[in-house]
Amino acid sequence: MREYKIVVLGSGGVGKSALTVQFVQGIFVEKYDPTIEDSYRKQVEVDNHQCMLEILDTAGTEQFTAMRDLYMKNGQGFVLVYSITAQSTFNDLQDLREQILRVKDTEDVPMVLVGNKCDLEEERVVGKDQGLNLASQFSNCSFMETSAKAKIGVKDIFFDLVRQINRRTPDNPQKKKKKRCVLL
Amino acid sequence: MAPQLVRTLSAQFTDTFLKRSESSLNSMVDLRCISKYPWRFGEVNFKQPTWRYWGEEKCPGAIYTVYLKKVRYHSPSKSIINVSGGESDDDISHLEWETVRVRFIKAGSLEKLVGSLASEVGELESTYVNVFLATYRTFASPKQVLNLLLERYDELRNPNSPMREAMRDQNRKTLRQSIHVWLDQYPEDFQEPPNYPCLTQLESFTSRVMPDSELDQKVHRKGDLIRRSAKGGPHCSNAAGSTLKCSPLINQLLSTSTMPTAPEFNVKSPPSASNGKGYHHPQYHYTNLIPSRHPSAGNLTTTNHGIIPPYSDFLEIPETIFAQQLTRMDYELFKRVIPHQCLGSVWSRRDKGRDRDCVSVVATVEQFNAVCYRVISAILMEPEAKSSARAKIISKWVDIAQELRVLKNFSSLKAIISGLQTNPVYRLKKAWSHLPRDKLETFEELARIFSEDNNALAQRELLVREGTARFADTVGENDHHLQKVLQKHSENSRAISYGTIPYLGTFLTDLTMIDTAIPDTTEGLINFDKRRKEFEVLAQIKLLQGAAKAYHIDGQPRFSQWWDSVLVLDEREAFELSCQIEPNLNSGISGGGSAASKDNKYKRKANSLGGFHRKNDSIASTGSSSASSQLTGEHAEQQPSMCQSASSSDILSQSDPMPDHQQSRNGARSKSHSALSSASSNSSLPSMDASLASSGNNTTSKSEPLGASTPLKGSSASTKSLGDHGSESKATSRSMSKTSVASSGSATDSPYRTSEFYIIRVSIEEAGPETEGVIMYKSIMIGNHEKTKEVIRSAMMKHGLEGSPENYTLSQVLPDKELLIPEKANVYYAISTQHDLNFTLREKSEDLNTVGGTVSRDSLGLGGEGTPRGSRRPPRDNSKARRKLLGLVL
Repeated sequence: MREYKIVVLGSGGVGKSALTVQFVQGIFVEKYDPTIEDSYRKQVEVDNHQCMLEILDTAGTEQFTAMRDLYMKNGQGFVLVYSITAQSTFNDLQDLREQILRVKDTEDVPMVLVGNKCDLEEERVVGKDQGLNLASQFSNCSFMETSAKAKIGVKDIFFDLVRQINRRTPDNPQKKKKKRCVLL
Repeated sequence: MAPQLVRTLSAQFTDTFLKRSESSLNSMVDLRCISKYPWRFGEVNFKQPTWRYWGEEKCPGAIYTVYLKKVRYHSPSKSIINVSGGESDDDISHLEWETVRVRFIKAGSLEKLVGSLASEVGELESTYVNVFLATYRTFASPKQVLNLLLERYDELRNPNSPMREAMRDQNRKTLRQSIHVWLDQYPEDFQEPPNYPCLTQLESFTSRVMPDSELDQKVHRKGDLIRRSAKGGPHCSNAAGSTLKCSPLINQLLSTSTMPTAPEFNVKSPPSASNGKGYHHPQYHYTNLIPSRHPSAGNLTTTNHGIIPPYSDFLEIPETIFAQQLTRMDYELFKRVIPHQCLGSVWSRRDKGRDRDCVSVVATVEQFNAVCYRVISAILMEPEAKSSARAKIISKWVDIAQELRVLKNFSSLKAIISGLQTNPVYRLKKAWSHLPRDKLETFEELARIFSEDNNALAQRELLVREGTARFADTVGENDHHLQKVLQKHSENSRAISYGTIPYLGTFLTDLTMIDTAIPDTTEGLINFDKRRKEFEVLAQIKLLQGAAKAYHIDGQPRFSQWWDSVLVLDEREAFELSCQIEPNLNSGISGGGSAASKDNKYKRKANSLGGFHRKNDSIASTGSSSASSQLTGEHAEQQPSMCQSASSSDILSQSDPMPDHQQSRNGARSKSHSALSSASSNSSLPSMDASLASSGNNTTSKSEPLGASTPLKGSSASTKSLGDHGSESKATSRSMSKTSVASSGSATDSPYRTSEFYIIRVSIEEAGPETEGVIMYKSIMIGNHEKTKEVIRSAMMKHGLEGSPENYTLSQVLPDKELLIPEKANVYYAISTQHDLNFTLREKSEDLNTVGGTVSRDSLGLGGEGTPRGSRRPPRDNSKARRKLLGLVL
């Protein structure tokens, strides 16, 4: 089964962790344990293929800014999340995207731009068109609005990313082994 | 094992604090006996064969989970049996086990939760007390809890109560014990200057109800201490942190806690207000500037009385000293981490004034970043150095990291490993290729500890094994180098025991996830099972804090000074410098298109200058004006090359009037001083543009206010960037962050700026001719709780407008458009902070006639004290009016 390493990035308070939990757990469960090995692993079927998604959520550690490069280096696909109720979280993404491109050293990185909290329509300050514009400004980036709370569009993010990764690197049994420290 | 252990552990917590002998925490249960998942203690392990889930019990205001538990009878002790002549039939015939019912409150009203501090028989539930006190702030205030406790106590004193006298006694005793624990473990809850409402209430209660009792005495003693500590009175015996010098935030943390300062070598940051640009010199409080000639190399216990010049070079600092000093800094911060400030609802929810509420966590994060950034700058700082020289620096960092592993300081260890894996460093393939093979392998072994695979399993397991162990002894199968190191170390110094400093980020993520995944309430009651879950993590932190007391490391001022003097690059600068060192061949993203050609030039130049060492002199120079004359001489030589390389690579000089090295120093400072820089960026906002700006005749045009205000920033770069609207917003925000916020690298951390308010400027849009080409701004402070309506109301007040806020709209003026703030938005978060905080207050069109005429000049004087009366008329001398306004805004 092919494994996909997906990194969820975005400012604090945009609901990253809610997206992740919603996707991995489905429903909010009382016995949830975030400390065990497979807390952030989920097997899904995308286009008739079984995929194992390992999600790295940076929630809670956004301020450890110097670690972002490391997350980015190890990720294959990226979810860039902002909240439609907070303009600055939207603005922050431009820099994040640039950083990803620098670390990946390519313009073409599987990525989804996500406007979260779309259930809070009456607090909206970032228009859908703004999100669309930004996504088209980033080349090859999908865009969607979601609500982890109302369970809108959460799965779509991850499915879309898997498809993007598949398109760019068709399943290739000799896929590069993810080794952290290839230095020589 | 688990539940019993939990109880033991919690009982130990409680007992410990009751006895006020905190040192006994050291001897607490070794983490490894708490099963594979130590995080589970505090919770019932349902798989234990002696425990069986029975069901739920509901009563008004509470839901209980009920278990049946098999307990062993107290059988006659062995000795008696022996005396009585060995085995008899009696031993077998009597019942050995009994099943008892145990219930835990799962969810409840606040009253029920407070009531549960006592068990059904009125005894103190020690586990519960600990969970409750560690987490109650997520659902109640200290005041509420105190009120309930005291009310309950009063009820229990009532002789007409249906409860038996003995039972009431027992219950009262339990309440007293709870207050004891509370005061001992969470004195900060009572730290509410200037009036100390909770403390005062408690004091008068104990004086009234139980004068001169043990609790009464304690309350008064603690009360004195709390009040005195607020005044900054010295009352702490620990002087180890006296040279700890960090960001203002950390300083603030240290000063508000129990930290005396040793003035003879304390390096102080001036308060942020001392200069408006986030740029400042550390002031070295040396009483004597004559450098001592005694080399202090390697002596950890150097008494700090001799005056020794600071390290001038990174490579000069022995790695053991380096690791110890980092550990000392980390320990000072870690022991001050208030566990409940890590809770997801405090740390990761932004709407609760997080910056004030989690200062102890922020300080740790800042220190972590500070280490990372020093790794990066030490490696990149000399662009012309040879790759082999750079490899030496990398190698040195690996050595330091290895020492940190021995010391079990996982925080700085991770910081260094992360620093080495940041893109600007990691991409330097040539430099890495010069790294000796064994160093590379050591690095890989260390990096494996922090692998994110399997939810950071490696790191979690390591912490379980070594968290409270005396020394490091765990290695992976393939960690040959670490094996050797640890073995060697353990042979040499079995006697030494170390504490552990964890990487806090893992806990923060776990707590954030728990907070997200588990609902706060069930069936309308406070979900206390969630708090139990959170306590598992908090208890882990507490346990490690206790264990960390095993560190005994003295400060070394010459290290602190070196540390403070290191210049720090922001991410972009680091990347561009990195591209200059080893050009990016693959793509055009580098942004250092010209760097490639320059690279060779610098190589040649470096060769002709013949040397790379002394690399940190130029860095140190900007920081210390005090060091020996020998040092300053060298600075003078180094400085030009430094400036040249910086400016030619175009990274440090954009749009800033300051000299290059100052500017970069500014960047360096603010990096670890986000509190300072954001504060200054706030305070400098009004001065960055004039509040009065002439903008021709068409004041109603949307883009005008912008046009008027932006150029006033005075930097040519930003003005230029306004011209081409291609990527204008980008450029503008850059230049702005350069000057005011001093570039916090990437903007992702902006929601965390330590400011708890923004200052915005609001102008009114009026159709009437009376404005005559003048836009008048009023500055308004917005906190992070303010909704649109409140902000509009205060804007109206400042502008002297009457009427209902509902008749107005508020929009932020952005370079390319306006951002309409929705009526119900939280303005603090809604606004775009990357741009100027200029706003327009506009009447809703349909209400134009009714409200339009209500601007009353008479009310202007009352509106805001700082508002100049005549400012509505066009001032004749614009600059004069501007000065006037500048002095008076806010």
